Amino acid sequence: MKTLAVLIVAAGAMLAADLKPVSEATYPKMVAASKGKVVLVNFWATYCVPCRKEMPALVSMHQRLSAKGFQLITVSADEIEQEKDAAAFLDKTRVPAPVYIKRAKDDDNFINSLDPKWSGALPATFLYDRQGRKVKSYFGEVDLKLLEADVLKLI
Amino acid sequence: MKSIRHAVLALAACAALVTAAEPLALTGTGGNPVSVKLEGKTTAVFFVATQCPVSNDYNGRMKELYGEYKPKGIDFVFVNSNSTESAADVVKHAQDNGFTFAVHKDVDNKVADRFNAQVTPEVLVFDKSGNIAYRGSIDDSRAAARITKRPLKDALDAMVAGKAVPAAESKAFGCTIKRAKKQS
Repeated sequence: MKTLAVLIVAAGAMLAADLKPVSEATYPKMVAASKGKVVLVNFWATYCVPCRKEMPALVSMHQRLSAKGFQLITVSADEIEQEKDAAAFLDKTRVPAPVYIKRAKDDDNFINSLDPKWSGALPATFLYDRQGRKVKSYFGEVDLKLLEADVLKLI
Repeated sequence: MKSIRHAVLALAACAALVTAAEPLALTGTGGNPVSVKLEGKTTAVFFVATQCPVSNDYNGRMKELYGEYKPKGIDFVFVNSNSTESAADVVKHAQDNGFTFAVHKDVDNKVADRFNAQVTPEVLVFDKSGNIAYRGSIDDSRAAARITKRPLKDALDAMVAGKAVPAAESKAFGCTIKRAKKQS
């Protein structure tokens, strides 16, 4: 019984989302780390209702397509004070690693470096091909059918 | 990087062409029409929310800005464009947070659409000719202790002094404005 309890605690510990910081300087490395895969980077936040609403569908897409070389990367735009809540949401929604948290030196520069047309509003999603080149930006809640079609074209 | 910056500046120039020839057509929380003329004075228009935690983190800062710049001749207009938040919600929120200013409803988010406001909080400052002199965030951190830039304050200070606004645009961040569903 004791062993079972230890195992359950250990499993719980393994589930805790490890939010790594990402800045405008490290973002390109973050995408490049998944080179060879089609990468979807989703920016979200705990306070963003449409972000939380669309996340399970993005997780489902990852589960269905990861074997074909698809990788979902999430970046939380929450502040330090909300980091625990963000980790709890990621765990509850079973969002796969890697999971990041935005720690920009300059928010405007970070946003502009991803896409100057992005207002910074959440959610925002960016699709990269297997070479790490950005293919498309999606602002606001994504049309999941359109997104999956775009992903399948690259896979 | 230079080309990105140029693109942003070009966008800002386009934004400046969106003039406020027509007054803002808003609705008071009692259902009465509120018409806000923008020409002839400097006006700061704040898009705010009752439920957005980011907007709510700025309640105190908005009150401070109002207290500091209203006596300096800046007009303030607070707008709630969220279709999900009623006039009664807006009244209760203003009372709970001790606002000394009115918040008006933007029915069918027409004002937000007209100026392409996307999030709460987001601010537009109009000069005396009714042109947008600044649009974007209040400052650069939801957590007051980590603020490093105050682009709105910089813009208001410049306008009060009759000088050019140092930065006409910043990226606003917060909760997406909950727009009314369009009838198809």
